[in-house]
Amino acid sequence: MRRAMRFTFIACLLCAQLPALAAERTDKEVVQFDVSTREISIQSNFTGIEIVVFGSIDSAQPRAAGQTPYDVIIVISGPKQALTAWRKERVAGIWMNGASESFVSVPSFYAVLSTRQIDTMAAPTTLKTLGIGIEDLRLGGVEAEGLPGDDVFRAALVRLKEKRGLFQQEEGSVSFIGRSLFRGSVDLPANVLLGRYKAQVYLFRDGQLLSKNDSSLEVRKAGFERAVYLLAFRYPFIYGLAAVAMAVLMGAVAWAAFRRE
Amino acid sequence: MLQVYLPIAEISVNLMVMLGLGAAVGFLSGMFGVGGGFLLTPLLMFSGIPPAIAVATGANQIVASSVSGALVQWRRGNVDVRMGLVLILGGAVGALAGVILVGALSEAGQADLLIVLGYVTFLGIIGTLMLGESIRAIRRARAGRSASPRKPGQHNWVHGLPLKMRFPHSRLYISAIPPLVIGALVGLLSAFLGVGGGFILVPAMIYLLRMPTNVVIGTSLFQVIFISAIVTLLHATFNHTLDAVLAFLLIIGGVIGGQFGASAGQRLKGEQLRALLAVMVLAVAIRLLLGLMLTPKDLFSLTPLLGAD
Repeated sequence: MRRAMRFTFIACLLCAQLPALAAERTDKEVVQFDVSTREISIQSNFTGIEIVVFGSIDSAQPRAAGQTPYDVIIVISGPKQALTAWRKERVAGIWMNGASESFVSVPSFYAVLSTRQIDTMAAPTTLKTLGIGIEDLRLGGVEAEGLPGDDVFRAALVRLKEKRGLFQQEEGSVSFIGRSLFRGSVDLPANVLLGRYKAQVYLFRDGQLLSKNDSSLEVRKAGFERAVYLLAFRYPFIYGLAAVAMAVLMGAVAWAAFRRE
Repeated sequence: MLQVYLPIAEISVNLMVMLGLGAAVGFLSGMFGVGGGFLLTPLLMFSGIPPAIAVATGANQIVASSVSGALVQWRRGNVDVRMGLVLILGGAVGALAGVILVGALSEAGQADLLIVLGYVTFLGIIGTLMLGESIRAIRRARAGRSASPRKPGQHNWVHGLPLKMRFPHSRLYISAIPPLVIGALVGLLSAFLGVGGGFILVPAMIYLLRMPTNVVIGTSLFQVIFISAIVTLLHATFNHTLDAVLAFLLIIGGVIGGQFGASAGQRLKGEQLRALLAVMVLAVAIRLLLGLMLTPKDLFSLTPLLGAD
């Protein structure tokens, strides 16, 4: 037992060393980053928040002749949600929801920030494999079932999400300070969903992915709003009763305060 | 600009706009002596609150306004509790059906359309009837004649039905079926449209049940308290569409507006008041109808996919 454990330990040490050994350069660039706010509390005065993502490149190399500068892509994605996109059709003079397509895994929020246009940093296949960019998002629509997807609905979903500030692709919004420091900022609108948000940073040079790092942030309701929300969804009957009691009480108080008898 | 985040609607609204909306509707409801739900819900929808949340939250606000109104009537002995209870019994069934209907239609993506269509139909009919009636009343008043009061002892087909009950307060001995059916219809309407239903109840009590006019308003308000409370509770439990923070703001605004409305209403003549209200009701109906008829700016819309998790 003990021997087995020691063996595993050594094996693990080896595993950890392997990537470094495999790499040609031992001083390979590693991207590190953090977000300005790891916990976002939604309170009564919440109207959205700006999140700053800042980071640095460890063992950054000076740019050799013919090399492109470092490229950074920051991806922030919110919890998945299931949505239906509807197209209105005119029936007897009235516009009503007609054809629709459901998407079962839409990121409720998705932002891509980058130093420049992402398709100039890496090959389309690389981006597709990594799933970077709104265009390559897998939304779980009909194309997920191998059927030819009607792009109209996907395009509409993306457009509506962009209009609400929930999908953002801001090319050129990440800037370098000096050789190895970078920062980018993203606006989370007031209508963001609660839950855990994933933040990923990719470092590219010459179309090659050099390093990648993950982190996360949490969006949650706080204080009174959180209490109301939790009550409404966990104990909806009690919540309803409380709301009715509040109304009855306020109505009675109004009557008592303004009675003219 | 003071913004308030609504925890259930999950949007940020302007505090003053919502208080103002409550006050405006409270003012009108105080002035005209109506519940105001039929104006509040569409106005909430115009200001960006999703229709389903507007309906449930509107119902919650109606609880408060009808409690105030019913207490006034109660003190004057104008509530027929027995009749009210029969109406509530019917109303509870109707409300349950309405809440289930809203849930099912949401899933089919048609709830918003049908709520708006329901409003157009409902407000169109009520507005036209009221306008016609008040114009006739104004003409009559100019000609110097008075409207004919209710003739006691006058019967219609409603009085021939079985399951007779005695309603001493209203001095009636009639079948329980018509009040049950009327109650159910009002409950359905209330759950579906977030209205109190006084608009339907009052004429139905006067013309169909032939209740004395003095107990009609009080009994209607008494019934509306319970039906809108049931509707609020059902929407909160099954559809999670009640925003209590929004309801709180609307009630505050409504209470203040209601007081000013009541004193303003005393300075206007009844027929003119009704004509004015009718015009407003029709304007809201036309605005809603135009929204359905005009080519929308965006043909596409997104709704949460229910049943998927």
